[in-house]
Amino acid sequence: MEFKYTKNEISIKDKTISTLDSLVIDFTDILSNYAKYVVVSGYVAILFGRSRTSEDIDIIVEKLDFNKFNKFWMEVSKKFECINTRNVKVAFEKYLSSGTPIRFSRKNKFIPNIEFKFPKLELDYWTLSERKKVLLNEHQLFISPLELQIPFKLFLGSEKDIEDAKHIYKVFKNKIDSALLNEFNRKFKTINLFNRYLK
Amino acid sequence: MRTPHVDLKELEKLKNDNFKERLEFIEKYVEWLKKTPNKEWSSQQRDIIG
Repeated sequence: MEFKYTKNEISIKDKTISTLDSLVIDFTDILSNYAKYVVVSGYVAILFGRSRTSEDIDIIVEKLDFNKFNKFWMEVSKKFECINTRNVKVAFEKYLSSGTPIRFSRKNKFIPNIEFKFPKLELDYWTLSERKKVLLNEHQLFISPLELQIPFKLFLGSEKDIEDAKHIYKVFKNKIDSALLNEFNRKFKTINLFNRYLK
Repeated sequence: MRTPHVDLKELEKLKNDNFKERLEFIEKYVEWLKKTPNKEWSSQQRDIIG
């Protein structure tokens, strides 16, 4: 795999765009006009070549007021639909504002879909503020810092999650900030898992 | 770089909430699957799993 890695940006060129890539690109092209966002979890590993798929993409979106969310909803509804509800007020009040994610799929599709949620934890806000830019061919995306993604996946702890963590670590181990990775491993209490499975 | 506070209990709760949400999604998905023609659902499945 060829990529350029700098402190704030990862650039990957000539990637064959998959169904998931295309979903993320089309959705975030709209979303980025309305809010700061960060793609987290499984898709981060898939984006960088992990040989598995997923039926959903997790995105944390900065909190919006209803007015701005409504404008986004009207725009995104031209290409996508919300699986949970067709009512923008319900989506905003019953789901997002109470901390429950909503899912968007392409019109008349159910899978794959985007799990869209507002930040809840200090960790979510940090991820948003420290998000990393990815240039995927000519498209711009933002993903969670890999130094957080690896320990977080280890913390989640399923076989799939540990494999994702290992994939990301092995692809980027000479590039990532190991002090920051160690700090998150300490905070998530994943040092033993890291040493056992990733090293 | 200042890193955020990590509350593992809070994260465990979130992990459980996410799991619950995913189980609810599977219920919705299967409901949709049952009333959707094979050609349509399998085409969406093929787009994901190849």
